[in-house]
Amino acid sequence: MNFVLIFLITIFSLSLFFYGRSKTKSISVENNIKLNALPKFYGYYLVLWCSIPALVFLLVWSLFEPVIIKTIIIETAANQGAIFNDTNEANLIYEKIKAIHLGTYFGDIDSILKESAISYAKFINLFTNSKIVLIFGIIIASVIYSLKKIKNNNKAREDVETILKGLLFVSSLIAILTTLGIIFSLLFESIKFFSVINIFDYLFGTSWSPQKAFVRDASAITADEYEELKDAFGFIPLIAGTSFIAFIAMLVAVPIGLFSGIYMAEYASMKVRRVSKPIIEILAGIPTVVYGFFAALTVGPFFRQLGESFGLTVSSESALAAGLIMGIMIIPYVSSLSDDVINSVPQSLRDGSYAVGATKSETIKQVVIPAALPGIIGSVLLAVSRAIGETMIVVMAAGLAANLTINPLDSTTTITTQIVMILVGDQEFDSPKTQSAFALGLTLFIATLILNFIAQRAVKKYREKYD
Amino acid sequence: MSDIKIKSKNLNVYYGDKQALFDVNLDLNEKEVTALIGPSGCGKSTFIRCINRMNDVIDICKVTGNIEIDGIEINDSNLDVVSLRERVGMVFQKPNPFPKSIYDNISYGPKIHGKGETKNELDEIVEKSLKKAALWEEVKDRLNEPGTGLSGGQQQRLCIARAISVNPEVILMDEPCSALDPIATAKIEELIDELKKTYTIVIVTHSMAQAVRVSQKTGFFHLGKIIEVGKTEKIFKNPDNKMTQDYITGRFG
Repeated sequence: MNFVLIFLITIFSLSLFFYGRSKTKSISVENNIKLNALPKFYGYYLVLWCSIPALVFLLVWSLFEPVIIKTIIIETAANQGAIFNDTNEANLIYEKIKAIHLGTYFGDIDSILKESAISYAKFINLFTNSKIVLIFGIIIASVIYSLKKIKNNNKAREDVETILKGLLFVSSLIAILTTLGIIFSLLFESIKFFSVINIFDYLFGTSWSPQKAFVRDASAITADEYEELKDAFGFIPLIAGTSFIAFIAMLVAVPIGLFSGIYMAEYASMKVRRVSKPIIEILAGIPTVVYGFFAALTVGPFFRQLGESFGLTVSSESALAAGLIMGIMIIPYVSSLSDDVINSVPQSLRDGSYAVGATKSETIKQVVIPAALPGIIGSVLLAVSRAIGETMIVVMAAGLAANLTINPLDSTTTITTQIVMILVGDQEFDSPKTQSAFALGLTLFIATLILNFIAQRAVKKYREKYD
Repeated sequence: MSDIKIKSKNLNVYYGDKQALFDVNLDLNEKEVTALIGPSGCGKSTFIRCINRMNDVIDICKVTGNIEIDGIEINDSNLDVVSLRERVGMVFQKPNPFPKSIYDNISYGPKIHGKGETKNELDEIVEKSLKKAALWEEVKDRLNEPGTGLSGGQQQRLCIARAISVNPEVILMDEPCSALDPIATAKIEELIDELKKTYTIVIVTHSMAQAVRVSQKTGFFHLGKIIEVGKTEKIFKNPDNKMTQDYITGRFG
């Protein structure tokens, strides 16, 4: 229903564009007056006036309709003698009524439920009909109002500009508010977690085994129980595992990415560049889950076999395999970003170096790379934050055991893997185990935020110098 | 009459399909300043970039014909461009100091050519080059500050010092004053006057007055061809060619 309405509103307002444009043209010709704006602005003016109020109304209505209907239905059900003690039970009855209305309820239906379902259907009908009537009313009113304005040759251009500015402002406001919402939801859940688990036990604990806290009500933990829980949420093994895998990834990605970036920017001919740059960038387009397969099914077992032939014990889920594949995934980020920064080093610097008799590699090593260094550092830091936040590859290839190890052949785990593990499946929402996922998320968020901030500062500092 | 240092014979340059120089024959004298004038896009810069083979950097550029320095052909694919550029330094239109300290800007060239093996020797080269470029007094107390922090005129003198640091025989200057104010320009011109005692200098300029002030010989380029070459005095007082006359009196260009 709503989609049909949106479609109709769109079609109607778009057709008004042509009407408004030709109408104002004829007005100006007939009365021989100079318009305040180009005819197309009057067209836009009509479109905006016709669509925005109706769409905003539709949005607000759709937000409140279910709430209002629910309140009314629950009240009538209560009046008819339905019994419920708290909001949960009330919700349950409301869901039953809805299911009866849709024909998907297969339990026993007593008279109260039946009556309620009938009145539910009535209310739905009533609301839908009045919605349609109101929307058309709004459209007609706003079209009449805006047509009148147009006939008076108003300043349509200024008005359209103001409305567009408003729309753009609302869009950016939504983006900012969403971000804030995410941060606050993380923050509140984390505060709940830290009210149970001491933040120092979390930050400096060296063992991670959250299953210890499974189905335990967070509000009723005694001092003895806390002693037991204390070493369930140690963050150190996770950050160690995360950094370790990210480090292996960087060991792969930075040299290969940087060198390929240098090759692309300085040595490759236009032809080679045209072909090979997109090919490297394809790597960035492969879904990480596919990298995960590759790591878990091909690279992991390969390392195990290789290790066994040397007489080493290699776990089939190893930090090495996960880090290696993650590094390959990150190569295009490093190579494409460093290619860009190297390209934006002015040719005049290279000329200056050649002119004193430096060779190409001397010029690159001593002039181009130092000049591009802040940008290169920025690109590496962005890659690091990417590696730290990467989830799918490590879930599939790095393992789950929170080993505090620096043996790359051992399995280890990361922050993101643990978040996935904690939140997969049915969860008690108030157990510290579940809440710990939010604390991990918050920590990860802060870590990547700091990295991105430093990276952007570095890149910016570089830009200021040459633009 | 001094000796001929650089001699070009039937020099042609192509950028892709477009020919930029047509059969340029030009002799440049040793320890003299030769000014190249002409309207924009006439091939002056292209010509001087042939002398230190800077056109090699541009993929689509092709050079045919001969250029000799001291009688040795340099437009030869077997020639070592590194040692050529050690002998033929260049100063560019826009000052282009490296994003390094003043000291490192100067010591860069000597280091890559293996000159100045000890710190003392390098210090000496740096000091000598900066003194020759008349910059020493202004920067001697801040050699470790970045070269990009200097004023435009100082940066250009830093670039001249950088070119001098490897002790070349020829210095090419591609409109070295076009980005500078009159005072900085006057300083550079004074410097050129001083430098010609040691080096053969070729300067591309759009300023007729500058050509008159600094050069002994002037060549007028138009549309990739050399129209007239001669003593600066003669070119500006009594040119043979009508086109030269028109250009120097400002009737076109």
